[in-house]
Amino acid sequence: MPDSPNQLLSQLPKASRRRLDALGQIVELRFSETVGTAGNPTDAVLFPNDGFISLLAQVDGGHAIEVGMIGCEGMLGIQLALGVSTEPLKALVQGPGHALRITAAAFRRELQADPALRAMVNRYVYVLFAQHARAAACLRFHQIEQRLARWLLMSHDRAQADRFRVTHEFLAYMLGVRRVGVTLAAGALQRRQLISYDRGEMTIVDRAGLADAACSCYASDQAAYAEQFG
Amino acid sequence: MRCASPLLPLRGAQVKRWRVMITAKLNHLLRSLPEAEWERWEPVLEQVDLPLGLVLYESGRPLSHVYFPTTAIISLLYVMENGASAEIAVVGNEGIVGVSLFMGGETTPSRAVVQSAGKGYRLSAERMKAEFNLAGPVLHLLLRYTQALLTQMAQTAVCNRHHSLDQQLCRWLLLSLDRLHDNKLIMTQELIANMLGVRREGVTEGAMKLQRAGLISYRRGHITVLDRAGLEARSCECYAVVKKEYDRLLPAVTAL
Repeated sequence: MPDSPNQLLSQLPKASRRRLDALGQIVELRFSETVGTAGNPTDAVLFPNDGFISLLAQVDGGHAIEVGMIGCEGMLGIQLALGVSTEPLKALVQGPGHALRITAAAFRRELQADPALRAMVNRYVYVLFAQHARAAACLRFHQIEQRLARWLLMSHDRAQADRFRVTHEFLAYMLGVRRVGVTLAAGALQRRQLISYDRGEMTIVDRAGLADAACSCYASDQAAYAEQFG
Repeated sequence: MRCASPLLPLRGAQVKRWRVMITAKLNHLLRSLPEAEWERWEPVLEQVDLPLGLVLYESGRPLSHVYFPTTAIISLLYVMENGASAEIAVVGNEGIVGVSLFMGGETTPSRAVVQSAGKGYRLSAERMKAEFNLAGPVLHLLLRYTQALLTQMAQTAVCNRHHSLDQQLCRWLLLSLDRLHDNKLIMTQELIANMLGVRREGVTEGAMKLQRAGLISYRRGHITVLDRAGLEARSCECYAVVKKEYDRLLPAVTAL
């Protein structure tokens, strides 16, 4: 059995993976598609193979902040493992790709039956927990440019490509800042030749340089993941 | 301690048991434990004093215990590399400190500091893990609590970005007030500033404004809430969002 492109699934014993594969189906993740709305029932969980999903907390009926990102290293729908069947946050596809989709009812049954799956999901909850916690502090203390660099690295990891689509408007929405703030920060990163940006296409030019420009939160997120799944 | 029932002379051990039952169950999670669980937990629960400023654990360090506050309030802070910190959640008599333990993390991503002095109970990390692995009703209760805590953290993040210090101060006072048994908080402005991740002057200014509006009185570290409805009106929506989520996810717990 080949390794699953999803890193969480690839950590599971073969038997567990085979059952989940049989229960689920591969679906397309379309760019800017909403795959979860806060307060709505959870229909299914998604294990992305490629592509990635942003988790957004919203206030005042519009303002939002990205508090987490899910790609092939993670899964959407951990609340099912916490005994909750409604969506906690808005989930928006940022990078198109594919995911294994398993219905909520089937996934719940598997969780009950499979201790290995339960243990894996719990560890991933810890990773997301750390990500959420960091989001609160990062937003408070770090400059837009650092946060943008972090966001670009996180997207780069999950997009599995050096180029991806993103508008300044969308970045502003994610980072909770005004559009002009993003334009200035992106301009600064471009002048340092870390990225190039052209009509909605972001290209990562110098990943190591970007890692230097990012706040420490990027490395901390990586470390939390490695601690659980490394 | 005097026995309330003269018909039943209690021996030392019984008095202790009785006291644990009454005081430990001030914590709503402990109070919602089914009888069988309570029987197992009661002998191993340990009451602890939680004085203002005590650090229950540091981020990145192994957890030795989980804590169930009864009258104290614990603040979970995320600490940056340069030492600056911001509060990501508060835990009081509705909750438990140390949830990362049963998610498989031996360490925790945050620092836990006593924000309002009081008491609580603690359980050793090994014991907690063993209980969790029994996969009984305790597991479900704690998992739902974890989701509520995650919501509080996400909401705090968005609040940090979009809401004014005044609104955040009101949110923070209300969250604290819900976890207290009266309307008085003992708290220095410096500690509040650390919680909210702002300068002390900002907190002073915010607190003075609330005092002038007749919502609180603040004297030498003692905050008394005078007008709760007024605070709610000035707070951002984040207070109500978090409260609603706790009520929804833990109906049996928050109704207590």
